Amino acid sequence: MTLTQNPPARVAPAAPHRPRAGGLGRNWLGYLFISPALVLFLVFIGGPFVVAIGLSLFRWDMLTPPEFVGADNFRLLFEDPTLLQAFGNTFVFALASVVTHVVGALLLALAANRVAGRVVSYFVRTAVFFPFIISWAAVALLWQYMLDPAFGLVNHYIERLGLTPPDWFLDPSWALPAIIGIDFWHTLGFTFIIMLAGLQTVPQQLVEAARTDGANRRQVFWNVTVPMMSPTLFFATVITFIGAFQIFDPVQIITSGGPDDATTTLVMYLYEQGFQAFQIGYASTVAIVVFVVIMLVTLLQFWASRKWVYQQ
Amino acid sequence: MTTVAPPRPVPSGVTRRRRPSTGSVVLDVVLVVFGLVMVAPLVWLVSTSLTDPAKAFQVPPNWLPVDATLQNFAAVGDLLPFGQMAVNSVVVAVVATLGSLVVSALAAYGFSRFSFRGRDGIFFVLLTALMVPAQLLVIPVFMLMRALGLVDTLASLWLPALIQVFSIFFLRQYFNSIPRELDDAAKLDGAGHGWILFRMIVPLSGPAISAVAILVFEASWNSYFAPLIFISTPEHMTLPLGLVALQTAQGGVSPTSVFAAITAVVVPVLVVFLVFQRHFVASIATAGIRG
Repeated sequence: MTLTQNPPARVAPAAPHRPRAGGLGRNWLGYLFISPALVLFLVFIGGPFVVAIGLSLFRWDMLTPPEFVGADNFRLLFEDPTLLQAFGNTFVFALASVVTHVVGALLLALAANRVAGRVVSYFVRTAVFFPFIISWAAVALLWQYMLDPAFGLVNHYIERLGLTPPDWFLDPSWALPAIIGIDFWHTLGFTFIIMLAGLQTVPQQLVEAARTDGANRRQVFWNVTVPMMSPTLFFATVITFIGAFQIFDPVQIITSGGPDDATTTLVMYLYEQGFQAFQIGYASTVAIVVFVVIMLVTLLQFWASRKWVYQQ
Repeated sequence: MTTVAPPRPVPSGVTRRRRPSTGSVVLDVVLVVFGLVMVAPLVWLVSTSLTDPAKAFQVPPNWLPVDATLQNFAAVGDLLPFGQMAVNSVVVAVVATLGSLVVSALAAYGFSRFSFRGRDGIFFVLLTALMVPAQLLVIPVFMLMRALGLVDTLASLWLPALIQVFSIFFLRQYFNSIPRELDDAAKLDGAGHGWILFRMIVPLSGPAISAVAILVFEASWNSYFAPLIFISTPEHMTLPLGLVALQTAQGGVSPTSVFAAITAVVVPVLVVFLVFQRHFVASIATAGIRG
């Protein structure tokens, strides 16, 4: 504070007033400051991006010289049953992930936000959040054992309830739901934190005013909390979808896409094509599909958040 | 400066404390049970890792170690160089975090404090990179690493992590909120740009710096995809890849040893998390909401 109020100790030279662009520094210095980032960007993001687009026009196995095939790889996309399956699996996974995370985290945040006891509050927040900081590798291995048919915890307790548990990762209809469940355990805390932060933006006066006017809990929730939280809900939906659309680690570690490609996601397929089958061109094409979907969702976010979402 | 602080309200704890309703108590119980279910896999993990291999994985499951032993942990070290992997993980995460912080702070300062031709255009192009999934870039980056002879080195993991577009964006936002009059005053006192950035703006941006540092460190520490692509020898692996390699190691590893390895990887991270929980949660809340 004293810096701005007291007269400066050393007076600047009273030389002719040099024009300065709004108090900003010299031009070339700006380039100097951004240059490390710019060089790294060009080498590790911009350049590879252009190369990846280019690679999608070639057939290449990394050994023999690449062969230009034009749009063949893109045509192949529509005729490749495994890719269609992977696309479907990825969408199912992403949608299930969005619904479970956003609804689950919102309910949890609403419940946790009103907890008065500090111990309960601390315990719940920590218990929900901690899995998020554990690496997927550890989470995937642990849950492989959790869902083991012979000695896993989950099947044991399902049996205790008198039900017959499935053989999770060997049953094509249960493998993907199992991954969805594991992802819920691992990533719920992230969405939960975002929801808790969003809840703090709901003005308490508004809630109390609605209450005074005779609104019940349900009406307050739908007419005050949800509209006021719409930017948060929207953001959580988009970021969960984008994250889920790139799901790879647990699939590669637990099932490698099996059984019968029931858990093959787009990134899993890209990895198989690129680093196991060495179809570099086709793998790049699959990667472009992932990119296009993410780009569309991001653009939708920009567009829709201006249009629909209530902004304060 | 002259505003008088409003009189502090009477401590509310004594005068009015609402009696919790029944519904509220039920909700608390539901929350605690949910929390216990979330924690259960961790308890089972740690307890099994400390259990005698012959007595592990019994039905009903043991929530406490049976015949507690550390032999499972000893077995892990015989199979894979886990100590080396831990060192690798630390090196990669620390270099990536500190390096990207310097690069991002410099760039954020450049974008925030200078006006130059193409500035906003360059910034926009940088931001579009947030939409580009790593999987699209990994094949060309792999080719580049192969050309540079960096495949199967730690550098292949931290070098691409030095550019963190989100950190640049986030720090620039924060730097913009710091009054430029401070820069001018420092300049009058003879300070150069290096001093202004690293001695004034960065220290004033503590919350933003720690938020991006935590996010970058966490991403690097937990990264599995990049090591899977770039690293092949156990001596150069990081912990997540090492864990998976252990499980698929030839000759078969007893599950209790896998549990010991997971515990050894997870528990230190959880301890660090519990210590810095506040910062951690804040970093996600602020970066998440603004991002």
